[in-house]
Amino acid sequence: MSAYKTIWKKEFKDALRDKRSVLAAMSYAFFGPMLMAVAFFFLISQLTDPSDVKISIDGKQYAPELIEHLRENGIVERDTDWPAEVTPIELSIPENWAEAIASATPIAVTLRADWSAQKQQSDIKRVEQALQAYSAQIANYRLILRGIDPRVIQPVQVAKQDMATRGSKAALIMGSVLVFILLSVFWSGMNVAIDISAGERERNSLEFLLSQPVSSQAIVIGKVLAASCFALFGAMLSLILIPIIFSFVPLHQIGMSVDFSLEMLLIMFLALVPLALLATSLQLFVSFRAKNFKEAQTYISFLLIIPMAASFGVEFARLKTPLLYYLPLTGQHQTFLSLIRGETVNWLGAGVSAVFTLVVAVLLTYLIGRMLKSEKTVFGL
Amino acid sequence: MIEVKSISKSFKTVSALSELTFSARDGEITGLLGPNGAGKTTCLRIIYGLLRADSGQALIESVDANRYPLQARSNLGIFPDKFGLYERLTVREQVRYFGELHGLQAEQLEHSVDNVIERLDIASLADRKSAGFSQGQRMKVALAQALVHNPKHLILDEPSRGLDVMSTRILRDILREQRAAGTCILFSSHVMQEVAALCDRVVVMAAGKVAAEGTPDELCQLTGEAALEDAFVKIIGSDEGIAA
Repeated sequence: MSAYKTIWKKEFKDALRDKRSVLAAMSYAFFGPMLMAVAFFFLISQLTDPSDVKISIDGKQYAPELIEHLRENGIVERDTDWPAEVTPIELSIPENWAEAIASATPIAVTLRADWSAQKQQSDIKRVEQALQAYSAQIANYRLILRGIDPRVIQPVQVAKQDMATRGSKAALIMGSVLVFILLSVFWSGMNVAIDISAGERERNSLEFLLSQPVSSQAIVIGKVLAASCFALFGAMLSLILIPIIFSFVPLHQIGMSVDFSLEMLLIMFLALVPLALLATSLQLFVSFRAKNFKEAQTYISFLLIIPMAASFGVEFARLKTPLLYYLPLTGQHQTFLSLIRGETVNWLGAGVSAVFTLVVAVLLTYLIGRMLKSEKTVFGL
Repeated sequence: MIEVKSISKSFKTVSALSELTFSARDGEITGLLGPNGAGKTTCLRIIYGLLRADSGQALIESVDANRYPLQARSNLGIFPDKFGLYERLTVREQVRYFGELHGLQAEQLEHSVDNVIERLDIASLADRKSAGFSQGQRMKVALAQALVHNPKHLILDEPSRGLDVMSTRILRDILREQRAAGTCILFSSHVMQEVAALCDRVVVMAAGKVAAEGTPDELCQLTGEAALEDAFVKIIGSDEGIAA
């Protein structure tokens, strides 16, 4: 058997017996989607709150029609007191309501609320919209009564055509889920990568391993493959768990649909293979330079910021340049985005970025091999 | 046969070895004796190709360790300065791992592993994970790793450090057995009794150079001292760094 396979097999077996490594690989894949699903669950239930808005109404006896209109729009007077920590939403109708309506003069209706309160945003908006709708209704009646077409006061009519498909709306929310899947290859293999490099040095077994009649390249290849297996194991776990967990989130209530077809998941997994190799070779490159486990951990946490910043940056800045399709990490990200939006994937871009990613991974692996030949890195001279 | 030919090595500005020359013959135990910092470990690391000599050659069966380290190492069994065991693997798995790295396969591999486990009398440990082993047990596992491929040369860097009397005796017995089998054994030590008890030839090192060379008796005669320890002190010129 070739030496790299021997090392791969041994490191994999060794890591599987390390509870910390296995737990690290699994917990990210498991708890991450879980947390995200819970967050979405609350977001959706807040956005689609169908219950009545209960507000305080002062002077309702002066404007029974307005009150009726509000009631039809799901805004009713509260019969309980406001809780202490919530700023009340109060509507005051002045005494001269009927008089002002009859004489067609403006009426000052006061709406008192805390506009900065995150939780009451949608409530306040609903009250405002209902009031404006009522105002527009009366305006129309008045114009018609005076023999004027109400359309004269609407010179510009904005026709809103929502081009968002169900899928592309979902992409907005699913974008962060995609970043999460991408990062799974960086997280899941991390502990193994540290353990078989800086850990090996710390446990004093590195010198003996390097004294075997095996090229340092074979040693590094075996180690990269072992850690990559863990990274891909974590990625696979997230790819399996995310569709399952998200099937419980009522995305359709906010007009979204996400279908994770088996084919899509398979393409995602394949796209993650070169990325996993890049992630682990990068982690090994860094942690072989560290003197011990702790030092390596520090470096690698810094290293994690790079893919996180890159993918979240692209995600939130809505960065659009064709270059993104061809680079490592962003290329896989774009492929994922296209897949989830139901667009056609830029296969050329996906291919180029896969090759690019692989080339960088191989280059890094080669550099680590050279590094292990240098007495400076081996003995930390 | 291990030949060290005028090796020099310096780390930055510190000269560790200068023009070091000696040889270790097959079927003999050669002791590399020197105080701490004399360059013993550096010298051994050059022999198994982990450090590169600035000038000079280390030959194992006429193979230059610096130029063809893989070929040179395939003839070597190594017991390094620091040996860490893989604590999550069983002893058998570790020994098999290093057997495989030496290119042993299938039946030959299993046979070699069983053989070395039997020879070192560690059958009772073989299927245990090495976490929590005593120093003596760890030494035996490290030796098993070094011997699994039946090397013709054995290099040991202070193998007896941290061992109790019983373990030291076992180590000596194993080394004598290996010698009887014709193995060329080179080991470093700063413990006088051990060198006196075990070595056929002694190379005394001080400050990166060979200070004297010969059998323990020859060294005593050379200096006119009765005990090797006194001879040693006289040779290196100070009593600094010598373990009792």
